[in-house]
Amino acid sequence: MKAQLALFVALLVFVGSGLAYVIALGLLHR
Amino acid sequence: MRTFLRDNGLVLFFGTIFLLALAGQAVAGFHALNDDQVADGAAPVTFATYLTSSDFGADVAENWQSEYLQFALYILATVHLVQRGSPESKPVGKAGTESDEDQQIGAHAGHESPAPARTGSPWLWWYSNSLGLTMGLIFLGSWTAQAVAGRAAYNAAQLRSFQDPLGLGEYLASPDFWSRTLQNWQSEFLAILSMALLAIYLRQRGSPESKPVGAAHSTTGVEG
Repeated sequence: MKAQLALFVALLVFVGSGLAYVIALGLLHR
Repeated sequence: MRTFLRDNGLVLFFGTIFLLALAGQAVAGFHALNDDQVADGAAPVTFATYLTSSDFGADVAENWQSEYLQFALYILATVHLVQRGSPESKPVGKAGTESDEDQQIGAHAGHESPAPARTGSPWLWWYSNSLGLTMGLIFLGSWTAQAVAGRAAYNAAQLRSFQDPLGLGEYLASPDFWSRTLQNWQSEFLAILSMALLAIYLRQRGSPESKPVGAAHSTTGVEG
């Protein structure tokens, strides 16, 4: 199940980074 | 490698079409924004500028929030609500959080059960609700991102037409915020309703989302 755990972590990191990026864009451009 | 591809087909397939669709959204959104820029007599923006714009961020976040809301609500609502005849529902008499035996907790846990289920640690409540909590948390994060980036994009358009920008509180009460939000919510709720209802009478042979082809319409909570 190592591959599945790696995919699980990758998804959370991707989604978390994506949201942090969008929030940062919004704060920088306001 | 072949085993990896076979064992993770669902995630790899949806991951691939997600990235293609996101790239397509970026390219199409870039051209749409530049069409507007030209129509307004403004200079076109570069692709890099578009990718770092709050317009792009808000468009992505508003769709993410509604998808995560959909799943969070579905996960939580199906604990307590049932739908007779639907493979998405539990059997009619099983509404609720179920017994420790049904949920393989404590004395009913197996060797391979996750640690909180085996030991009954203080983490058990959190682990028992971790799927709904995580979906709910990503929903709130995405909705916040939509609000912050949506406000920046809205204010940029306001300033281009010499109108006053809005504070975050004012933007949260604005038609723009609620139009972006509710246009996504209505489609998600309709999709869930359709899935719960259509699968009572229709079948997809081989799909775990469907009942077996020969299952009775009245069978509830059986996946094929």
